[in-house]
Amino acid sequence: MAEQKLLTVQGLEMRFGQRLIQREVSFSVERGTIFAIMGGSGCGKSTLLKHLVGLLAPAAGRVAYGGVDYWASDDATRAKLRAGLGMLFQTAALWSSMTLMENICLPLEQQRTPLDPDARQARAREVLSWVGLEAFENYYPVDLSGGMKKRAGLARAIAAEPPLLLLDEPSAGLDPISSLRLDDLILDIRQRTGAAVVLVSHELPSLLAIADDGIFLDADSQQPIAHGSPRHLREHAEHPTVRAFLRREEPPPSGPKAKAGSAPPAAPPAATAPSS
Amino acid sequence: MRFPALPLPLRPVAFFGNVLLSAFGAWRFRRSDFGRIAADASARAVPIVTIVNVLVGAILAFVGAVQLIKFGAGIFVADLVGIAVAREMAAVITAVVMAGRTGAAFAAELATMQANEEIDALEVLGIDPVEFLVLPRVMALVLMMPLLYVYACATGLIGGLLVGAGMLGLPPAAYVERTLDALDWSHLGLGMAKSLVFGALIALTGCYQGLYAERNAAGVGQATTRAVVTGIVGVIALDAVFALCANALGI
Repeated sequence: MAEQKLLTVQGLEMRFGQRLIQREVSFSVERGTIFAIMGGSGCGKSTLLKHLVGLLAPAAGRVAYGGVDYWASDDATRAKLRAGLGMLFQTAALWSSMTLMENICLPLEQQRTPLDPDARQARAREVLSWVGLEAFENYYPVDLSGGMKKRAGLARAIAAEPPLLLLDEPSAGLDPISSLRLDDLILDIRQRTGAAVVLVSHELPSLLAIADDGIFLDADSQQPIAHGSPRHLREHAEHPTVRAFLRREEPPPSGPKAKAGSAPPAAPPAATAPSS
Repeated sequence: MRFPALPLPLRPVAFFGNVLLSAFGAWRFRRSDFGRIAADASARAVPIVTIVNVLVGAILAFVGAVQLIKFGAGIFVADLVGIAVAREMAAVITAVVMAGRTGAAFAAELATMQANEEIDALEVLGIDPVEFLVLPRVMALVLMMPLLYVYACATGLIGGLLVGAGMLGLPPAAYVERTLDALDWSHLGLGMAKSLVFGALIALTGCYQGLYAERNAAGVGQATTRAVVTGIVGVIALDAVFALCANALGI
């Protein structure tokens, strides 16, 4: 029977050299859902995304798109699978030597059945208008603010209408208003295109506002410790780290120090008298 | 393709092979990028190539004249400058200048793209960064270096003429005649061949260092330094190989 899930991850093991980052990472993403990869800084969220988009081979496990194992496929199949992905990088990663229009037209040139130049430009203008940047098509990335770059990156990611969007920290570095607008934009794009979205973030308001499902990666135990929507996990998660993260509470003590008993806080350095 | 899984000593070999394969494949880079890079590696390099080669020609004339005048053979300064410039100095000095200028620029540009995830963004789209970024740079420099070599020869010879005629009192017409007599197509051919190889070496070194740079600001600096050092040392080493080959072939 053909697999219905858009993306399936099974038993993924992530390593940085010899160092284990995460193990036993398993989840699946269905069409039209917004799936959040949550966790604190350094737990391997962005690395997981690199395994998903084919930039980094996992140490073990399976990443399948529509049932086809990406890492077990030949180059031609991988290229075909990658064509179904749109990616927004943490830094937006707009090509700095190209205008916004050229940035968006390039993915359209790479399609299996490329549009003619006029159709490409029309599509680029359409997606730029979705993200509110229609007046900036001839600008270079260096001339845009951080929020505008993120929106332009999102426009580039959706230009070729991929069924799966992967967004790496879309709200990072943005002010709360811009972050809120970007959340609305992601919801709007999901509604317009029907794409599924895999979202890597540790921005709590964004996660609670838009994610339907998710997984929580824990840096201490080096494995996922919770599955479910952020809203549900916030109320019902059993693991104290997940609850603390989603409720913005003080995290539970962890590591060898916690096991040995909490050490007294270090004394602040003595103030030095100003020299005369 | 960046071959991240390959052990370090094999990476340059795989990189070079990938560039060669890309050169014989469909050229998927943007023509506007090629034009911009070619202009930067040629027209915009003309002022510094002029200054350096005129000075080198003049220095050669001075050094040669000091010895040759003792034997009443001052006019042979023209031979010395002509042959030295055409066989060695124009190609080598221009290559050293281009390694410090264009090789460094290639490394810095690609390393910055690496740090900003721009190269990852290309790979996600299925665009090979070697085809899209490296090939136009290598082609531009390989095509432009011979032109710069011809120009560098002319400016180097003018530098020699200025010293020979202006300071040593040699008649300009006699100086030019001696230079034309001394020069042979084999000298120019050797210099031209060197400029092609040096161009490829500088572009490949700069792009390789940029593509494999670490993803931070320090990585950009390190890549640029490595590109310049490897480029200059490589040019000198290859020049020695050329000298041995030319000697063996009697050129």
